[in-house]
Amino acid sequence: MSDKMVTIFVDGHATVVDPSRNLLEACAQAGVNVPTLCYLKDVSANASCGVCVVEVEGARSLVRSCVGRVSEGMKIATSSPRVLRARKNAVELLLANHPTDCLVCARNGSCELQSTAEKLGVRKVRFPRTRKPATIDESTDGIVRDNDKCILCGRCVAVCSEVQTVSAIQLAGRGIRTHVATFMDRGLGTSPCVQCGQCSVVCPTGAITERDETEAVWKALAQSGRTTIVQTAPAIRASLGEALGMKPGSLVTGKMVAALRRLGFDRVFDTQFAADLTIMEEGNELIRRLTQGGKLPMITSCSPGWINFIETFYPALLGHLSTCKSPQQMFGAVAKSYYAEKAGLAPESISVASIMPCTAKKHEARRPEMRGAFEYWRAKGATKPGESYYDVDWALTTRELARMVKRAGIDIESLPEEDFDDPLGRSTGAATIFGTTGGVMEAALRTVYEVVTGKALPSLDFEAVRGLEGIKKAEVDLNGTIVRVAVAHTLKNARIILDEIAAGASPYHFIEVMTCPGGCIGGGGQPVLIDLEKRLARNKAMYVEDLRLGMRKSHENASVQALYADFLGEPLGHLSHELLHTEYAPREV
Amino acid sequence: MSSTATAKRREVSLPEVIEKHQGRPGALLSILEEVQELEKFRYLPETTLREIAERMKVPLAQVYSVATFYSFFNLKPQGLHSVVVCRGTACHTRGSLELLEASLKRLGIEGFREDEENSVTTVDNFCSVRTVACFGQCALAPVVQIDGVISSRMTVGKLTAAIDKLRKGGQK
Ligand code: SF4
Ligand code: SF4
Ligand code: SF4
Ligand code: FES
Repeated sequence: MSDKMVTIFVDGHATVVDPSRNLLEACAQAGVNVPTLCYLKDVSANASCGVCVVEVEGARSLVRSCVGRVSEGMKIATSSPRVLRARKNAVELLLANHPTDCLVCARNGSCELQSTAEKLGVRKVRFPRTRKPATIDESTDGIVRDNDKCILCGRCVAVCSEVQTVSAIQLAGRGIRTHVATFMDRGLGTSPCVQCGQCSVVCPTGAITERDETEAVWKALAQSGRTTIVQTAPAIRASLGEALGMKPGSLVTGKMVAALRRLGFDRVFDTQFAADLTIMEEGNELIRRLTQGGKLPMITSCSPGWINFIETFYPALLGHLSTCKSPQQMFGAVAKSYYAEKAGLAPESISVASIMPCTAKKHEARRPEMRGAFEYWRAKGATKPGESYYDVDWALTTRELARMVKRAGIDIESLPEEDFDDPLGRSTGAATIFGTTGGVMEAALRTVYEVVTGKALPSLDFEAVRGLEGIKKAEVDLNGTIVRVAVAHTLKNARIILDEIAAGASPYHFIEVMTCPGGCIGGGGQPVLIDLEKRLARNKAMYVEDLRLGMRKSHENASVQALYADFLGEPLGHLSHELLHTEYAPREV
Repeated sequence: MSSTATAKRREVSLPEVIEKHQGRPGALLSILEEVQELEKFRYLPETTLREIAERMKVPLAQVYSVATFYSFFNLKPQGLHSVVVCRGTACHTRGSLELLEASLKRLGIEGFREDEENSVTTVDNFCSVRTVACFGQCALAPVVQIDGVISSRMTVGKLTAAIDKLRKGGQK
């Protein structure tokens, strides 16, 4: 806050505002929400759309309020005829080159272009189309780009280069040929894109979306003789409600379970079971590296965009990654081996769908090495020639599940609270907080501390690793050994941590990295139209759930203990190695 | 292209060009410009773009962005000769479309779509035809530039004759 406030006049009303605010915020303070389209707070302000114009007395041309500044005595007209005309023109020009696909568009109902056109009262488009049709980029498992629906706002470019430092896309060409492009226009599949999906979250339109796999899931649900298993990532319970119109941060765990049953899934399990399992493996891996000499710092490996990132940009540091598969993949491998055996199901008759906050999970599920259960059965001679299956068949985003729920006419709010199925539906609070930045670290510390010291933790809340700060640091005393940890979210922050390691200057033993802002709660498959406030609300919900679950330490999960006793043996044992761990390889782009 | 340019082409290497400009404002643009001139068919091959990105530590997408923003960069090999037809309004009303079509026909180029691309080259890289939005010589319309020399009040007859002369001149 600047100490010197200024007085401005918004449509004649005197308002005292902080001069460090832009005109847009100043007008909002005066009770006027000036419409915007390209601007996205904290992400992008390149003032390309012209929708946010206002009239400032004394200024010859209209001022774009998203980048305009206030000054003492400024007189602003926010809806003069000239302003209203200019805004409408700006949108009409965009619509001239836009397909009229709203009725069949993934963003129908959540599209900012659509809502802006509605707000501004656009009823016809008086301009002719000037742009040639675009080709759709379907070159990745996670993301689909349709430049025809692009309004060149630049948000995706900003998020990709500044928040994620991936820089897979840029505006290329000029004039009427300007478009969002990858190198040589070859599509994201040949670019460094890590499929984080952050571009799809910030895109105001349907130009960047997740690859929709709901049809395949509907089909499996209807197929007789199939056992359909669903697993839900921690963050979904804090965002599905929002995606279906409830308040951001609504915690809908029980209702979500009920909705999944009504959609027809035979078993409703929880990725959180596998998160607890991950802590058992990863915690022990850390202890082993600390005590027996292994590569340090060790870095978490549950965020697939992050894995793509380090494989692409820092292949020399791959040895620092935990070899643990992500909870999604551990779940799939266990479901089609241990659970299949236990339930007397033929593994090839099981379909596993996961509900993920993430587009990169789609890619992860399709990695050729993610067939742990298949290899397990093959070694036993229990597979047919020519047959093969993934551990996870489809990873749907929160948005896709919301679409399925809507399509089935399920009213989430009126559903009863139901509980996950046994045994892969049991989990602890430690697993819940995997869904937000700092959570994996905290969950790991809760277990590692007790395993190493043999003592109960005085407090389970590691406040130092909570919150939405970009990089968080903490020290933990494990029986006299000080373990230094760091937590980073967004790839920009991950890069800082990696550069430190590369320079041999990393003070840490253990690092958690999450690809997306806020961790999974801010994932690329989460409800769109996100801002910091919504991220905070989802973040808070995770800690509410942590307390609600009662059990808050992964090693106390009785179903996980049974999995070890009946099947895996011990953490880091032979079967764990086969089913729960993986390898990484440099990726050339 | 003069023989000195040919000689220069052999002398200067990409790393040298980069070193010369690295760190200065607009370095990427200057480097791309210079490197394109060093290329026999005056274009920026993909391998070159990749090398520039790697050496300058600039994202590939950004290099591509710059290379596609400026119309003087070519991503495809250009002809040894060039015919540039102005497609500004003044030239258009004075028949520049006929000039464009005549030059394409004379050079045996088919399937060029003005709304999709602004240049096209004969398969033997003999000559490129390109369009520009305006040469700023509207008073002399229609204007055509042949191998860098601007000719005003061009006619189809004069243009085809000039193209035939390029052919007779043989390889540069
Ligand atoms: S992107 Fe928006 S405006 Fe365009 S078709 Fe989809 S919903 Fe309609
Ligand atoms: S998915 Fe992520 S890495 Fe890929 S283009 Fe979008 S923002 Fe960039
Ligand atoms: S793809 Fe979406 S976010 Fe990117 S420039 Fe186009 S409209 Fe904006
Ligand atoms: S929102 Fe200000 S110019 Fe687009």
